[in-house]
Amino acid sequence: MTLKRTAFAIALAALILGMAAGLRYSQSLDLIGPAAARRAMQVAIGLILAAYSNLMPKDVGPWRSSAAAVARTQSALRVGGWSMTLAGLAYAGLWAFAPLAFADVASTVVVASAMVITMGYGGWTMLACRASRKLPLDVEGQA
Amino acid sequence: MFKALADPTRRQVLQLLRQGPKSAGELAESFPVSKPTMSAHFAVLRAAGLVDSAKQGKAIIYRLKMSVLEEALMEFSQLLGLNLAQRAGKASGAAILRKAPNK
Repeated sequence: MTLKRTAFAIALAALILGMAAGLRYSQSLDLIGPAAARRAMQVAIGLILAAYSNLMPKDVGPWRSSAAAVARTQSALRVGGWSMTLAGLAYAGLWAFAPLAFADVASTVVVASAMVITMGYGGWTMLACRASRKLPLDVEGQA
Repeated sequence: MFKALADPTRRQVLQLLRQGPKSAGELAESFPVSKPTMSAHFAVLRAAGLVDSAKQGKAIIYRLKMSVLEEALMEFSQLLGLNLAQRAGKASGAAILRKAPNK
């Protein structure tokens, strides 16, 4: 599984580098302008972000001792996966269709917001899990 | 994966698992089907990689293991299934009305 993932990541990195080189070469031949090359690269980055984030909720990790911890991990992964996937798609969409100056700012805002949501919800989930562990009663599955 | 999502019972199992991990018994209680049928549904979901299971004592605990795309597909098929069911309901209602004698 780890080997498969590493191979996939290396293939993806090679694809990005190849695409960047190809776009640069096309630019040098005057086949495309610098704006189109930039757009194409950013759209690819957005789609890659969406593809990676799509798999985030599937990476459930090992089973935890408490049902509440499993439920919280699952919900944190789902929130993170959804927000980052939608952000990746929005990023790609903005770079594909919006004016460059707007896409530059809006795409950053979209991805930054998704990161804040993902990390904020993840942090809150972790704190809630720790707090429920301190409770004297067994509240497994109810917290 | 499409086969797993095509069945309404399996989709409902996935909906229930969204709330958190549940035992096979807890899940089976929510459906008016026999335990072997439920086991077959769980096996299909496991084979499709949509759920993950672990044995805790005598119970088997299930948890959701769906990607964003799989979840979106589930929602879509749920919506489509609901519409189809509603259409089928309307169609059968209309057929009953057609068969019924006019008063």
